[in-house]
Amino acid sequence: MGGVDVGGGSGKRAMNADVNLIPFIDLLLVTVAFLLITAVWVTNSRINANAQIPGPPNPEIVVVPQTPEKVLNVAIGAEEFVLTWKQGAVVAAETKVPKPTSKSGEAPKYADLAKVFETEWKTHGSHKDPADMKIDQAIIHSDNRLPFKEIVAVLDALYSPKREMKLGNKTEMLPVFNMTFSIR
Amino acid sequence: MSDRFTNNHEHNPHAHVIHAPGRRLLNSVKLKFVWSKVKGHSVRAANANLNLTAYIDFLLVTVIFLLTTFNASGQISVDESIKLPFAENAEDVIDAPMVAVNGVSVYVDGDPVDSTRAIEDMGKMAKLDKLFVLLKNRRENWKTLQPDKPFPGVVILQIDENVPAIVVKSVFQTAAYAGYPNVSFMVQKKGSGE
Repeated sequence: MGGVDVGGGSGKRAMNADVNLIPFIDLLLVTVAFLLITAVWVTNSRINANAQIPGPPNPEIVVVPQTPEKVLNVAIGAEEFVLTWKQGAVVAAETKVPKPTSKSGEAPKYADLAKVFETEWKTHGSHKDPADMKIDQAIIHSDNRLPFKEIVAVLDALYSPKREMKLGNKTEMLPVFNMTFSIR
Repeated sequence: MSDRFTNNHEHNPHAHVIHAPGRRLLNSVKLKFVWSKVKGHSVRAANANLNLTAYIDFLLVTVIFLLTTFNASGQISVDESIKLPFAENAEDVIDAPMVAVNGVSVYVDGDPVDSTRAIEDMGKMAKLDKLFVLLKNRRENWKTLQPDKPFPGVVILQIDENVPAIVVKSVFQTAAYAGYPNVSFMVQKKGSGE
């Protein structure tokens, strides 16, 4: 039992006071039990995508034609990834990255592809200023039978490079790309 | 009667009087072996005190650890038939309609809505009509209830890791056509459930 020894002994009243710690331990145990029960061990998160359909939201508003931005096209092949920067129909650059083979039953991970995405964005990306609110667009081209986990592994690599972006008064680190699917 | 309040009560053995204690038993004996015998021959004392400080420290550290790791944002139920893929670069889940795809059926907030079998058999992208109607109705209801606010257009897709890309693209495009252009894919944060 915890106590406070304050010496003495010759006085009329005992100076050695014992603090009863049992209720305190009970409280701690109940708190631990509550937190363990309500704890979330498998946390779910989300990966953003964008499905902005081309064209003005209001057909009556005339849109001034602008020079098309450079867009990164990511083709997921059987043995390699082909990264192509396109400005409209013009191909600006093309890079091929070999696809690593992942063991069966293991979640695929493309760490090399993430590094290539970063260097590609540093070379060809259009939106790098922290005050620039726009994000470079990436279009994913995939085979129709490709399992979803491989698409997510590519998206994970795509969202790996981050840049500073000013949101009001604070600066946050946000992914440099936003993805959408190619529709064929 | 006055006898009760004085030390002179030798004649009345039942008198309840508090008086100074007399000599203690064996107190005057200075011999060490006598005292060793009295205390129990140096055997462990029967009155043991357990030191609780370390135990309380451990409990406090556990409480602090659990409090700091407490996060309610990822506490969203996922259907047992769906195994979500893993990803590292993911954000916290937000409140939005949940569309679950387990390879056979499409569920919206837990209720079965549509089937994906036809798309897999055809092998080409198609709009899921029932899902489209349901999402469109939800969007219209939201706009009716909150006419002043801009519609966020966020939908979260819970898709099994082995669902083919054609189904993913079809559900994605159906949600976009129904007025939900900001589509998010739910994943398991790497390291949390491996």
